[in-house]
Amino acid sequence: MLISRSISHDRADKIYSWLFLLPVFVILLIAAFIPLGYGFGLSFFKYKLNLQQSPLFVGLENYIDLFRDELFMQSLKNNIAFAFMSVAIEIVIGIIIAMLLSDDNSFSRIATTFLLIPMIIAPVASGTLWKMMLDRTYGIVNYLLSFVGLPAVSWLADFRIAIYTIVFVDAWQFIPFVAILVLSSIKSIPKSFLDAARVDGASPLKVFTRIVLPITAPVIIIVAMVRFIDAFKVFDTIFVMTQGGPGNATEMLPTYIYRQGIKFLKVGYSSATAILFITVMSLIAWQFIRLRSKQLRRVG
Amino acid sequence: MKLIKQRTDSSNYLSNFLGFPTRVVILILALIMVLFPFYWLITNAFKVEQEYFASPPVVFPTIITFQNFIDAVVKYEMFKGLVNSVLIAVGTTVTTSLFGSMAAYSLINGALPKRIKGVLASWFLVQKMYPAIVVAVPVFYIIRTLGLMDSITALVIMNTSFNLPLVILLMIGFYQEAPYEVEEQSMLDGCSLVQRYLYVTTPMVKSGLIATGMLTFVYSWNEFLYAVILTVNKAKPLTVIIAGFITDKGLIWGPMAAMGCVIVFPVLLIMWLMQRDFISGISAGALKG
Repeated sequence: MLISRSISHDRADKIYSWLFLLPVFVILLIAAFIPLGYGFGLSFFKYKLNLQQSPLFVGLENYIDLFRDELFMQSLKNNIAFAFMSVAIEIVIGIIIAMLLSDDNSFSRIATTFLLIPMIIAPVASGTLWKMMLDRTYGIVNYLLSFVGLPAVSWLADFRIAIYTIVFVDAWQFIPFVAILVLSSIKSIPKSFLDAARVDGASPLKVFTRIVLPITAPVIIIVAMVRFIDAFKVFDTIFVMTQGGPGNATEMLPTYIYRQGIKFLKVGYSSATAILFITVMSLIAWQFIRLRSKQLRRVG
Repeated sequence: MKLIKQRTDSSNYLSNFLGFPTRVVILILALIMVLFPFYWLITNAFKVEQEYFASPPVVFPTIITFQNFIDAVVKYEMFKGLVNSVLIAVGTTVTTSLFGSMAAYSLINGALPKRIKGVLASWFLVQKMYPAIVVAVPVFYIIRTLGLMDSITALVIMNTSFNLPLVILLMIGFYQEAPYEVEEQSMLDGCSLVQRYLYVTTPMVKSGLIATGMLTFVYSWNEFLYAVILTVNKAKPLTVIIAGFITDKGLIWGPMAAMGCVIVFPVLLIMWLMQRDFISGISAGALKG
């Protein structure tokens, strides 16, 4: 992807080339490298920012404590459940929507534009939106459901339901993301493939399972993995809608780290969580990059 | 049914894979699911209190009021939040576009060893993937030590770092497409690298730079995590103010909806203006690297 162009450069060009990269390095240093290294260091200390004491070196204690911490295990479990549920729903519905929008008339084009909206608004805004609509007493959702005879549901206050509500709002926001990427991949399928299948009398459903799915599979896999990784970054929606509650029913890793580190100022402990988190995520991401480059070669 | 199928071409053939009636029903449902929440947000913003607190809810408001917007400004600091949001988003867009295009230009047309490009490319990929929360605590601590807590500067720095990878990635694509002959010619004419960047090549990729900038604007306008961590009072953007609202005051829906409208509107406007670039920018961000 990075193809360099070969021309002879003079000395000034060489110096300027490096100078042009300098700001990026400085920003990354301040905002990424130093904090990462610093966090790694802190993770071996017992250190609470609000107490007037100096950091105490405790080795791996923070890491060991993590696995004894029920709240951490709960957040991890919630986060994994959330990731699998939301990705599955988003992929299935996203593919269906993409298929339905795959023709070229103006209705589909306009519909595509409208369906994109949830994806680009602030997650804080979509959280606000749905919090209003899902309110038990004044919300429109329970009101509409009462017409089909369903009793009022506490969408966000019932610990058995809250996590599904979060999954729903996440799906509402990111189905368009899946749909738009799958759609562009469907549109790149050569027309001749589809025409040939049609002439041979294949049913549309057969064309979908035998031609469209296999051809778009690499893109679908990439999109699923991007969404899976993003599911472990979920923060805004939960912050606005449930604050991790009721109880700890919707506490997930980012909200857990936030609470430990920023609210309770347990700097060392939350750094250990973060380091463990990034280690696991890097392993997943590494697999992902390998898989992706393989898939991208197949796409061509 | 048969008639419809026969008249359509193969792309239509695909979109009717579940049958034409199912298609119409699903798409209409999907459109309602997407658009109705916005109808609800907008009408709530203009409803009087008796109507947004009504059980059963009022679907078609009978009285229209601007009081919610006035309250949001007077009582709930919406104007301050708006100014901060604009400053953060504009600041981030300018620095990211400048630094990102400089880096991309240098990577494509500059005189750098080959290896650095590979190293940078893989770094960008990694940065795109790791969760921002993992550096939150150290960043919080560093920003506090630097005395930058509750400042626009801190948020511009953080947002710039989040958006740089995408901008560099997209700008590399644009610079690669720019005609190289012009670059070569101006080199023979004795233009320095800086002059070529400023006056020759970047003007040719102006539209790409603008599209990338818009994407950055939207992302930093929407950003919440670092905004909530690094602001206390005076640098709070709209996203933080509306979130505080919900958690502290719960049910003041009118002003809350008014603020929601103010957060959503600029983004919708930008998307409407540059639909195509938006889609390709987002896809490139997800698929390339």
